[in-house]
Amino acid sequence: MTATLRLLGMGWWLQMKTRSRDPFDGILNIIYPLIFATTVFMMFREGGDESALITAAVGASVMGVWSAVATSAAGSLQNERRQGTLELLVAAPAPFPLLVVPMTLAMATLGLYSLVATLLWGRIVFQIPISIDQPLVFAAAAIVTAAGISLMGFLLAVTAVRYRAAWALGTALEFPIWIVCGFLIPVATLPEWVQPISWILPPTWGVAAIQDAAFGGTPWVNIAICLGLSAVYGVIGALLAGRLVNAARTHATLALT
Amino acid sequence: MTSLRIFFLGGWTSYRALFGWLSPWILIPTFIIGPVLQIVFFALVGRTAGVGDDTFFLIGNAIQYASIPCLFAMGNTIGGERYSQTLSLLLASPARRVPLFLGRSLPVIVNGLLCSLIALVLGSLVLRVTIPVSAIPMLVVAVTVAAFSCTGLGLAIAALGLRVRDVAVLSNIVMGVLLVFCGVNVALTAMPDWMAAIGNSLPLTHGIEAARATVAGASAADVSGLIVTEVAIGSAYLALGLLMLAYFERESRRSATLDLA
Amino acid sequence: MPVIEVADLRRTYHAKTGIRRRSSREVEAVRGISFEVERGELFGLLGPNGAGKTTTIKMLITLLLPTSGSIRVLGFDAVTEPREVRSRVGYVFGGDRGLYERLSGLDNLRYFAQLYGVPAHEQMARIGELLEMVGLSGRERERVEGYSRGMRQRLHIARGLLHRPEVLFLDEPSIGIDPVGARELRDTVAALASTGTTVLLTTHYMFEADSLCDRIAVIAGGQIVAHGTPAELKGRVADGNVVEVEVFGSAEGSLDAVRALTGVSSALVEERGQAQVLVVRSGPGIDVTAPVLGCLSGIPLGRVAMREPTLEDAYVELVGAQDVT
Ligand SMILES: Nc1ncnc2c1ncn2[C@@H]1O[C@H](COP(=O)(O)OP(=O)(O)OP(=O)(O)O)[C@@H](O)[C@H]1O
Ligand SMILES: [Mg+2]
Repeated sequence: MTATLRLLGMGWWLQMKTRSRDPFDGILNIIYPLIFATTVFMMFREGGDESALITAAVGASVMGVWSAVATSAAGSLQNERRQGTLELLVAAPAPFPLLVVPMTLAMATLGLYSLVATLLWGRIVFQIPISIDQPLVFAAAAIVTAAGISLMGFLLAVTAVRYRAAWALGTALEFPIWIVCGFLIPVATLPEWVQPISWILPPTWGVAAIQDAAFGGTPWVNIAICLGLSAVYGVIGALLAGRLVNAARTHATLALT
Repeated sequence: MTSLRIFFLGGWTSYRALFGWLSPWILIPTFIIGPVLQIVFFALVGRTAGVGDDTFFLIGNAIQYASIPCLFAMGNTIGGERYSQTLSLLLASPARRVPLFLGRSLPVIVNGLLCSLIALVLGSLVLRVTIPVSAIPMLVVAVTVAAFSCTGLGLAIAALGLRVRDVAVLSNIVMGVLLVFCGVNVALTAMPDWMAAIGNSLPLTHGIEAARATVAGASAADVSGLIVTEVAIGSAYLALGLLMLAYFERESRRSATLDLA
Repeated sequence: MPVIEVADLRRTYHAKTGIRRRSSREVEAVRGISFEVERGELFGLLGPNGAGKTTTIKMLITLLLPTSGSIRVLGFDAVTEPREVRSRVGYVFGGDRGLYERLSGLDNLRYFAQLYGVPAHEQMARIGELLEMVGLSGRERERVEGYSRGMRQRLHIARGLLHRPEVLFLDEPSIGIDPVGARELRDTVAALASTGTTVLLTTHYMFEADSLCDRIAVIAGGQIVAHGTPAELKGRVADGNVVEVEVFGSAEGSLDAVRALTGVSSALVEERGQAQVLVVRSGPGIDVTAPVLGCLSGIPLGRVAMREPTLEDAYVELVGAQDVT
C-alpha cells in the first residue's frame, strides 16, 4: 500500500519535474488556453450579458485543464516510446497502469495553473467581477475535476501503448469535450442525443460543482458524481491497459522499430 | 527552367518527407475533423453569448484553420531539416534559394486551401448554412489568397526557425494571435482600436472579410480591394521571410549555429 | 533445473510496407531456437546484425510474445507469468536511449528502484553502491541530457542491477564505452556471474565474448548455427591455420584468386588504419603462404604472419558459411 502510494507520488513528482523543465511547453500550456479564453470573453462581452460573462469566465478556466491533459496524454507514451523507456516501463514488475496514472495526474496538475491564470486574466485584463463564494469548496471542486480529467487522460494514454497514432486522437478530442461538458455552452441547450454523452463525462459534473462553489450553490452531489465517474474511468483504463500491453507484446509496438 | 524544377519537385519531395510519417489516422483528425469541431464550438458559444450568426463563425474559423498547415508545415520545413541535420546539406547545395523556399510553400498553400474548403463544406452541412452558388468562385479566391498570405507568415516563422529552438511553440502562439486578432470570431468593429489595428496588419483578416462579404452578396468588384490588400500583406511577409532566411543563413554560416549538434 | 529454458522458439514480425496498400511483409526473425542456461553461467549470444538476438532477448524478458515455442525463466513461463519473470530479471541494452533525459541520473535510478519494488529505506544505499560501482558518483545530480554516451551506458547498467536480479540480460552493453570502461564492465559482469547471477549477453566484440562467456550460441538468420564453449568453437577451425598479409594498396582484386587456391577455406580483407589486411584461413597442415603471396605479386606488402585461429575466425567461418546457404 505505502509502496503503491510512493510509486504514484514519485511518478507524479518526476513527471512534474520533467514537464516544468521544458519552459516552452509550460508557457504554451498557459498561453494556449488564454487565447481561447480571450476570444470567448470578447464574444460574451460583445453579447452584453454580464452574468453570462461571469459564468463563462469560470467555465473557461477549466478548458485549459482539459487541454493540458488532452494534448499531452496520448503523446506522453509516444514520447516514452521514442525515448526507449516504454519498454523499460513494461518490463518492470510494477503494474503498468500505476505508471501511467501519475503522468496524467501531473498534466492535470499543470492544467490547474492555467485554471488560475484564466481566472486572473478575466479578472485583471477583462475586469470581469468574478468572486468566489466558497473558496475552499471551489478549490476542492477544481481538484476533483482535475482528477476526473486526468483519469480520462489515462484512458487516452493507454490506447497509445498499442496504437502509435493515438496521440492525434487526444488533440482531436480537445474541442468535443469543450463543447459537450458545459464549460461554456449549457448542457441543456445541446441537441438531445448529445446530452447523455455529457452525463457520462466526469468534467461535466466537475464544472457544475465548480460553478456551484463559485456562485453559492451546494456542489457536493456533483462532486460525488464526478468522483464516481472518474473511478469508473480509472477501472476501465486499468483493464484496457492490461489488454493493450498484451496486444503490444504480440504486435511489437512497444519499441519504435 | 532549373528554377522551376527546384520549385515544383523540391517542394513536393520535402513536403512528402515532412508528412511521410503521418497516417490517415492522423491526417483525418487534424485536417478534416479538427476544423469542423472548431467551427461548431465557436458557433455554439456564439449562440450562448448571443452574438454573430452561424455563417459568421463558419467562414471565420474555416479560413483561420488554413493557418494550421500553413504555419506548422512551413515552420517545420526548416526546423525539421535542422533536426535531421539536412539543413546544412541543403544550404550547401548550389540550388537557388528563392525558388527553393517558394517551392516549399506551394504544397503548403494547396494544403491550407483544401483544408479550408473541406471545412467550409462540412461546416455548412453540420450547421445547415447555405452558401449561394454564385458566391462560390469568389469565395475560393478569398480562401486561396488567405492561404497564400498565411504561408507568407509561415515562411517568416520558418526563417526564425534558424534561430529559435522550438518553432512549433512559436507557430502555436502565432496561430493564437491570428485567432484573436483577425476577426475570426469577433468582428474587428467590436474590438478596441489597437486590436483592430493589429488585425489589419496580419494575414487572414482581409481574406476573411472578403469571404464574408461575398457570401452576403457582394460582387467581385466590391471585394477586389480586400483581396488585393490580402495579397499585398502576404507578399510582404513572404519577402520578409526570404530576407530573414538570407540573413540568418549568412550569419549562421559565420557562427556555425546551423545544425543542432 | 536450468535458469533459462528455451524450446523451439519462433517469432514472426508483420512489417507494414505501405500506408495505402495494407500489404504486410512477414519477417521470420527467430526460427526455432532452443537452448538452456544454468545458474551462474555466462551465456553469449553472437550473430550478425538482424540475426534475431534482440528479438530473442525481448521474448525472454516478456516484452514480446513468441509466435510459438516455450520459454521458462527461473521456472516461470515468460508468456503466462510475466510478473514473476519481470521482478527477477534485469535488462540492459546498449545505445543512449532508454533514459529520462530531463531528469538527473539519480532521479532515473530512484524511479526504477521504486518500479522494481526496492524497499524505500534501502533505495539510497543501493543507488549509492551502484553509482560507485559504475563510476558515476559525483555526477548523479546532473541531468542525463548532459551525459556522454559512456556515462549513459553506465547509468543503464546501474539501472539494470538495482533490484539484484537473478538473471541479467545484456544486449550489446559495451557499445560506446571507452576501452577502460569496457574492461571495467567485463570485470563487473564476471564478478556478478561468479556470485551466482546468471548472465545472457550479446555482443559484436569477439574478444569480449571470448574472455567472458562460459558458453556461446552463434545465431544467424534466426537459427542457432553453432554452440559450445569458446574453446570448442575455436576448435572447429583450430586444426587450420590463419595467414595475415598486410597490403598497401588494393587487395580486393586478388581476393577471388586467393579463394580459388587449393587448401584455402576462406579469405577476407580487413581495413586496419593505413593498410588493408588479407586474412586467409586454410585447412589443417597446409601452408598457403607462398601461393597467397604469389597471387599478390606486384602489390606492395607489409608484414606477413601466421597465427592460431581466434574466436573471431571461428565466428566468421560459421556466419560466412551461413551466408552462402
Ligand atoms: N518491430 C519489428 N518489426 C518488424 N521487423 C522487425 C522488428 N524488430 C526486428 N525486426 C526484424 O527482425 C530481424 C531480427 O532483428 P533483431 O533486432 O532481433 O536482430 P539482432 O540480432 O538484435 O541484430 P543487431 O545485431 O543488429 O542488434 C531483423 O530482420 C529485423 O529487421
Ligand atoms: Mg540487437
